[in-house]
Amino acid sequence: MRTGVIGLILPPTFSFLEMMWRICPALAMGCTVVALVPPTSPTPLLLAQLAGELGSFPGILNVISGPASLGPILASQPAIQKVAFCGALEEGRVLRRSLAGKCVELGLALGMESLLLLTDTADVDSAVEGVVDAAWSDRGPGGLRLLIQESVWDEFMRRLQERMGRLRSGQGLDGAVDMGTRGAAACDLAQRFVHEAQSQGAQVFQAGDVPPKSPFYPPTLVSNLPPASPCAQAEVPWPVVVASPFRTAKEALAVANGTPRGGSASVWSERLGQALELGYGLQMGTVWINAHNLRDPSVPTGGCKESGCSWHGGPDGLYEYLRPSRTPIQVSCLSKNMNYDTFGLAVPSTLPAGPEIGPSPAPPYGLFVGGRFQAPGARSSRPIQDSSGNLHGYVAEGGAKDIRGAVEAAHQAAPGWAGQSPGARAGLLWALAAALERRKSTLASRLERQGVELKAAEAEVELSARRLRAWGARAQAQGHTLQVSGLRGPVLRLREPLGVLAVVCPDEWPLLAFVSLLAPALACGNTVVMVPSAACPLLALEVCQDMATLFPAGLANVVTGDRDHLTRCLALHQDVQALWYFGSAQ
Amino acid sequence: YEGHNKDLSWISKIQVNHPAVLRRAEQIQARRTVKKEWQAAWLLKAVTFIDLTTLSGDDTSSNIQRLCYKAKYPIREDLLKALNMHDKGITTAAVCVYPARVCDAVRALKAAGCNIPVASVATGFPAGQTHLKTRLEEIRLAVEDGATEIDVVINRSLVLTGQWEALYDEIRQFRKACGEAHLKTILATGELGSLTNVYKASMIAMMAGSDFIKTSTGKETVNATFPVAIVMLRAIRDFFWKTGNKIGFKPAGGIRSAKDSLAWLSLVKEELGDEWLKPELFRIGASTLLSDIERQIYHHVTGRYAAYHDLPMS
Repeated sequence: MRTGVIGLILPPTFSFLEMMWRICPALAMGCTVVALVPPTSPTPLLLAQLAGELGSFPGILNVISGPASLGPILASQPAIQKVAFCGALEEGRVLRRSLAGKCVELGLALGMESLLLLTDTADVDSAVEGVVDAAWSDRGPGGLRLLIQESVWDEFMRRLQERMGRLRSGQGLDGAVDMGTRGAAACDLAQRFVHEAQSQGAQVFQAGDVPPKSPFYPPTLVSNLPPASPCAQAEVPWPVVVASPFRTAKEALAVANGTPRGGSASVWSERLGQALELGYGLQMGTVWINAHNLRDPSVPTGGCKESGCSWHGGPDGLYEYLRPSRTPIQVSCLSKNMNYDTFGLAVPSTLPAGPEIGPSPAPPYGLFVGGRFQAPGARSSRPIQDSSGNLHGYVAEGGAKDIRGAVEAAHQAAPGWAGQSPGARAGLLWALAAALERRKSTLASRLERQGVELKAAEAEVELSARRLRAWGARAQAQGHTLQVSGLRGPVLRLREPLGVLAVVCPDEWPLLAFVSLLAPALACGNTVVMVPSAACPLLALEVCQDMATLFPAGLANVVTGDRDHLTRCLALHQDVQALWYFGSAQ
Repeated sequence: YEGHNKDLSWISKIQVNHPAVLRRAEQIQARRTVKKEWQAAWLLKAVTFIDLTTLSGDDTSSNIQRLCYKAKYPIREDLLKALNMHDKGITTAAVCVYPARVCDAVRALKAAGCNIPVASVATGFPAGQTHLKTRLEEIRLAVEDGATEIDVVINRSLVLTGQWEALYDEIRQFRKACGEAHLKTILATGELGSLTNVYKASMIAMMAGSDFIKTSTGKETVNATFPVAIVMLRAIRDFFWKTGNKIGFKPAGGIRSAKDSLAWLSLVKEELGDEWLKPELFRIGASTLLSDIERQIYHHVTGRYAAYHDLPMS
């Protein structure tokens, strides 16, 4: 089902093609578009005029020319259902913050930099052409980071510099020109970057001279920039290329993945095995092999990490503008008094429970981290009460340190788990389901103490086991797909696990919700850190006892404690790849 | 040019990526077009690069004579006068014929009072599948008859079986047999199988002492195409960087329209630079190309399209 009205926000230096890549799928899926474009380019206005002349549907494409600060205002209009943003990182953050709590989807495509990785088994001349395509033609959106294997450094540099001498800058409409200009702002940005790089000790090569008032910035090659310098961490602006050497493929991957930006990259090697290995290892949304910037409307391209996660092109791109047909209408849950700084900072103290009646309760549960129960960092526990107000047990009070430990354990287990075959993953989930069934009576009695009827409790346990089995079966069904498109060469679409997922469970259905959220994450190859239901985490902890024997260490970690505080810790932790939250509006 | 010692390490690590080269070829054709008076100038320059060729079974002295006359006066006199280029000595670069017709060509050129060289094909043109002894003898006889440039064909079987040293030795022998004559080595790239083989064969040919490397005989199914040319030009540039010697390049076969010839000039300019745009370092092997260029020049001068009978036959 189509999404509705899409708000589109474009950066100051976008190309016509990029704009069409965003507008056309939206219109094709039946959504209408309101685009905010920078005032310097009239082309979108012309496009809107043409769209208006189509007759029966005058309002399908609307264009507003204005500064970027109008972005959040556009996004907060009540009728907009989705905002597609393309541009700089900071503005994306501002937008995300301003849209929090409203039921508006946000698609982000941030950052323009890409990466080119050259091994010594590549065709060096063709790789030089690849650099030209990536950085110095009008098809590349941003600057380029170049990683070159040390053994071909000299050869490559010589050829690249020779090639730079043949590039021609000029007006875009002159057919014999390679690259045009992107405005004074882009020139200034490039100039500043180059000066900074020089002051930090890099060597700069420019093929021609830069006339001071010219709008054209010459192609620039920066090398010998020390990797720890601030310039090396910043995004490379157009039309600058920053080159660095590497010694082995392992080092190349470490350097390439060592930035928060994960847009697009290309790998150059004539050895198929090596090329694919590097391609798989790069944490980027789109990887080309022996080519750069090849785009085809039927092939999806997108980013990961800080580059945003919206997709363009292909069926994935179309799905961006659709939503599943039976989604309930989401109510905006905007909390006016939201204070991000103080939310969940302090743990409310819990009063000790009343006098203990009945048999003395079991010793407090620890946190289930790294495959075993551990004592929490704060060394305190909180009481859990059952439905009649009596003490049911004690669970640990988790804090920031525990979250950190849990995430670390999850990361350690992640590569091993992701590398397991889908069959092995399915097997583990089924084993857990069998274990749950065996312990049905214990689990049901626990649920009863929480006020659930026996029959319903048993049903809940059965349903949990069934869900585990279902997800186990689904684990086998996923995989990679091979797509044949207009490009010369196959397109491989990989579905990779994200990494570490954090899940905060709702209060209701303590067992079922826990299991239903655990299973899909594990089935797809991720590892999890879970915060179980605050009212009754004991069910989750029972399941942990089974997991301790069945699962590899660190696969699933459970941290109990104050939900708000733990959510805050998880949200602020920058190495958690995704967070699923079911809880209060705040 | 005497040649270099053979050094197989120059070709051992080379890799050529076919799709990337194809993309670059398309790009060059699309992006460097020339118009108006610059186009006319480029076309005249292209004329000076042509090796006017006739390689048919039915060549006799009469059509050779006509060819040589056309080589001396490639463009009609009044058109050149209109462009103010009639006194610049515009002729084609050479005339290219079979070994048996070299005598006729030399005689005809002398009668026309023209000193452009006569190039002869040799070594079992076009297939090269004859004994080495007869191939070398052909070269010697052509040189004796007065050819000052020899276009030899390499033995493709040596390339396809990877016998690079043997290839080097053969071309070395051709070089010796040529003596003072200028040696062009035809790689017959349409039959070499892969772009990597083209690169390696080019390098070996240059190391062994060729003055020019030539793409094809004109008789294969696939003759001079841009991807192959890009690889050969890169080889020439690498050889220049390694040794300082400039080797020439000649595409032949399949170049029929004036627009194509301009694309070829752009290609050489882009990949190698202006120094290679001289008849000593660049030739185009063609026969009907000249009439198409003449028609374009006619159009530029008069603004009208000529019929074929308006311009002298070659």
